Amino acid sequence: MGLLIILALAAPLYAGDPVNIDPFKRLQPSSAEMWFGSDNLGRDVFARTIFGARISLVVGMLSAASAALAGLLIGVIAGYSRSFDNVVMRVMDGLMSIPTILLAIALISLTGPGIGILIVAIAIPETPAVARLVRSVVLGVRERPYVEAALCGGASLPKVLWRHILPSTIPALMVQGATVCASAILTEAGLSFLGVGVPPEIPSWGNMIASSRLYLAIAPMTIFAPGICLAITVLAVNLLGDGLRDVFDPRAKRRR
Amino acid sequence: MAAYILRRFVSTIAVMAMVGIFIFLLLRLAPGDPAAMIAGRNAAPQLIASIREQLGLNDPIPVQFMRWVRDILGGDFGTSIFAGRPVLELISQRLEPTLSLAILTMILSVTVGVSFGILAAWRTGGLVDRLLAAFSAVGYSVPVFVIGYFLIYFFAIRTHWLPVQGYVPFNQGLGPWFVHLILPTVALGLGYIAFVARVTRASMLEVLSEDYMRTAAAKGASSYAMLFQHALKNAGVPILTVIGISFAYLIGGVVLTETVFNLPGIGRLVVNAINNRDYPIIQSVLILTSGLYVLINLAVDLAYTLIDPRIRY
Amino acid sequence: MSIPSVLRAQTAPTDARTVRMVMGDLSTFDPIVTTATMTGNHGLAIYDMLFSLDSKLIPQPQMVGKWAVSDDKKAYTFELRDGLGWHDGTPVTATDCVASIRRWGQVPSGGKLIMERASDISAQDDKTFIISLKEPMGLLIEILAGAVTPVLYIMREKDASLAATEQVTANIGSGPFKFNHALAKPGASFTYDRNEKYVPRHEPTDGFAGGKVVNVDRVIWENITDQQTAFAALQAGEVDFHLLPPADLYPAIESDTNLALQVLNKAGDVYFMRMNCLQKPFDNVKARQAMLHLIDQEAFMRTSFPAEYTRTITSFFGNQTPYTNDENTGWYKKGGDQEKAKQLVKEAGYAGEKVVILQRTDWAEAGNCAQLLAVTLRKIGVNAELAPGDSALNGARLRNKGSVENDGWSIFITSESDYERSTTLSNPTLTANGEQGWWGWPQSDEYEALRAKWANVETLEERQALAREMQRIQWDIAGTVLLGSVLSPIARRKTLTGLIEMPSLTAMWNMQKVPA
Repeated sequence: MGLLIILALAAPLYAGDPVNIDPFKRLQPSSAEMWFGSDNLGRDVFARTIFGARISLVVGMLSAASAALAGLLIGVIAGYSRSFDNVVMRVMDGLMSIPTILLAIALISLTGPGIGILIVAIAIPETPAVARLVRSVVLGVRERPYVEAALCGGASLPKVLWRHILPSTIPALMVQGATVCASAILTEAGLSFLGVGVPPEIPSWGNMIASSRLYLAIAPMTIFAPGICLAITVLAVNLLGDGLRDVFDPRAKRRR
Repeated sequence: MAAYILRRFVSTIAVMAMVGIFIFLLLRLAPGDPAAMIAGRNAAPQLIASIREQLGLNDPIPVQFMRWVRDILGGDFGTSIFAGRPVLELISQRLEPTLSLAILTMILSVTVGVSFGILAAWRTGGLVDRLLAAFSAVGYSVPVFVIGYFLIYFFAIRTHWLPVQGYVPFNQGLGPWFVHLILPTVALGLGYIAFVARVTRASMLEVLSEDYMRTAAAKGASSYAMLFQHALKNAGVPILTVIGISFAYLIGGVVLTETVFNLPGIGRLVVNAINNRDYPIIQSVLILTSGLYVLINLAVDLAYTLIDPRIRY
Repeated sequence: MSIPSVLRAQTAPTDARTVRMVMGDLSTFDPIVTTATMTGNHGLAIYDMLFSLDSKLIPQPQMVGKWAVSDDKKAYTFELRDGLGWHDGTPVTATDCVASIRRWGQVPSGGKLIMERASDISAQDDKTFIISLKEPMGLLIEILAGAVTPVLYIMREKDASLAATEQVTANIGSGPFKFNHALAKPGASFTYDRNEKYVPRHEPTDGFAGGKVVNVDRVIWENITDQQTAFAALQAGEVDFHLLPPADLYPAIESDTNLALQVLNKAGDVYFMRMNCLQKPFDNVKARQAMLHLIDQEAFMRTSFPAEYTRTITSFFGNQTPYTNDENTGWYKKGGDQEKAKQLVKEAGYAGEKVVILQRTDWAEAGNCAQLLAVTLRKIGVNAELAPGDSALNGARLRNKGSVENDGWSIFITSESDYERSTTLSNPTLTANGEQGWWGWPQSDEYEALRAKWANVETLEERQALAREMQRIQWDIAGTVLLGSVLSPIARRKTLTGLIEMPSLTAMWNMQKVPA
């Protein structure tokens, strides 16, 4: 995982230009110049795979971060304030009930593809799950004696939230975040397949796989390179999620 | 109990209304022009303008909204801008393939996933457990359409065992119907099998580590009885919850699967409608799916009481 | 082979008299309201025409039996041939034809021209109608027979009395196929049944003209949106025909002994781009001329098509039309001329303004051209940016005449058939009437004056002379820049034969399935 991030960040140092098009060098096999050969527009597959890591990771992480942040905020408010709880959670139910991909397709088709809108489109349907989780944690924590004690002892509400309630939501959030991150990367690939993912000029693993799917027989690297990276990354993120769960949930650890 | 169900129904309607308003605004406020789609490529600009006028798209958004709300309340979900047919007719025409695929996938993933999960939990770290880990790695990280292509290549092109694409309605024969759904179900199901199996495994482990299970084991209960009589019953609730939640994700997967295998289902209908900006179809499908989602979760909640008598509403 | 034979039998190829075709999405049914090719194909199947083009693109009578022109060339009398009937069982009358001409006459510019010049269009009796003109119009029959969408398909008076913008969805025509309403699944598949009552003309079939003999019982249009699946279905024999296989699958299709590629539109399609002539930097004619010099047509075509299917093109009037010519084509240079383009851009006073290229995400070939255009423009120092979007988004944005800061656009890319570039009177893309005209809004009154003459002159030679003059102006104002020409073969199973080779539209009569 760390290696992937480093590779992605250092991309400009060693990989070629991922955008340059040379129609006379389409679907070339691997060569010294282009390690993984070229794609259907004569672009360097190696460069695109490496630069694609940036986009895919950014999409994954930012979607997870925004869903986590929004979910945290909503979850804490809902968990703490009874009056807000009902309204907010019904709104969350509504959002949750729209299938992720349909909402994303609608949002992106309607406004035009772009990374920003893609992240928003993926994050929105993931938010309710986070909010529910956080809410349940908050509901659990606020009944604990030390929280009640702090409140009785005259501590201000925001302070209690910050000191006592937020920290206890972090573990659950991180686990959930990893899941959202992995599914965001996959969702991006699916959306690219339907033609509503990352704009075609920008390399992402999803749109590389999607736009190369006709070339599996002719130029397998165009689909294998990003495909394998995608699989490894999703796997890595999932394992990270599992690892986090083990760390934060001692009972799970004891079982191993 | 009855009051609880009633309350849930009311909130279902509230959820649907919210989704409706959200989608309506999303569609009308975003750029995109159904009139341009109707008039076609390289059409004269004046024609496009007059089609817009004809469709009432130049009316102020509040006016369009009120018109739409009035129709919906009267049970009229509108008429497709393109096909000129009632939206409900188009949806019902497309319901069968989608439901067939969804139900078959659910059956496949629950039967295979739950048994897989139980076996994995039974011998943690054993062969099955490791297989599950490897399998879910694949199921989680390979996009549905890639799996679909591989299945088509091996089972349809190379061996001719199964058809590449298409759908045969149920009433034209169970055999053809089933044959056409095998590949789509497997392609869509792999991820869910992995998902259900992992949830099952986790909840089983949770339950197995409870004190009463240890007591049961100490008292010499057979491993069969332990797994099925005690553990599965208690692990049932989280498994059910997950199945309910995953319905919305399932519909998402259906969109991709229907595209790969050319099934004339709801997913294709709505993607097509989004491309064409056929507003009435998009609005209605999303409202109805969200309603269905809420109802399924209601059904799941009610099923809890059957599995676990301790739960009461 | 462990699967029981009962199951396997179900995957057997389709019935002997049913043809399954992967066509594309038919979203609009009314062929008058739209320019969509699929709707044109739909119309060709279920409706009939007064006159049709033969394989040499010469109009021949189709529904018309006898016709005559008065000596002053101002009055045309048409008599319908015998045996014409609507799918609902009623006979076709002259009144239906008059109503259909009037409705169609509101939409394409060729139709509008006829309506402007006509003093009277009316039915004389059940089978006869006349078109009286204020002044002679040599091209009248050509315009009536045109195969550029919207085509003059004859509808029932009931349907043709709707406003031209209100869609006809009855789908009842008098053509060789009947639309099967019960089996229609919009967005997924459409079924056309042979019209047993159709009486073909006695002449052998020739292009869209001659006898339309249907040799199959049923044609099913499958809208398989995924190209890879469509190809797999063709390989497996689940479909017989694929209208637009992606060029990268040509080698795979050729290597399959059951499949064949066939070019139906021998003149091919022309890809071109239009610039927004109202906004910077392309409000300056030099900036537009720079694009003429910049484009390396071979490179643009090679982004999606193999070399053997592409050609360069320098004539404004297509490669293979009667009006193609070499007037004022000095800008063409193999490989493009980046230096010259750079210099012209500089002379245009370009100061780094943002250039927004609309990029189609649902049309790979045009999208690829847009990507190459962006890269090429950046190489000569133009600040190019891609604005990706689907057809509907594109369509909405094209309407905006404003600057790119206000969500306007600078360049978009589209295509049309080579044949369409000869239909000077009907085709909006061949106009230069400024803000009244087609997207990009180039203006040349001189050009428009020549275009107005087109309908009046009598002979082909005179029109060819006009075409040279018009082309000279077009390449000076450079509102349109050509990107290249391409032949797009269809893919079929070898068992499907007798396809009609014509530009623009795909006809479904005459074809047949032969046993393998």
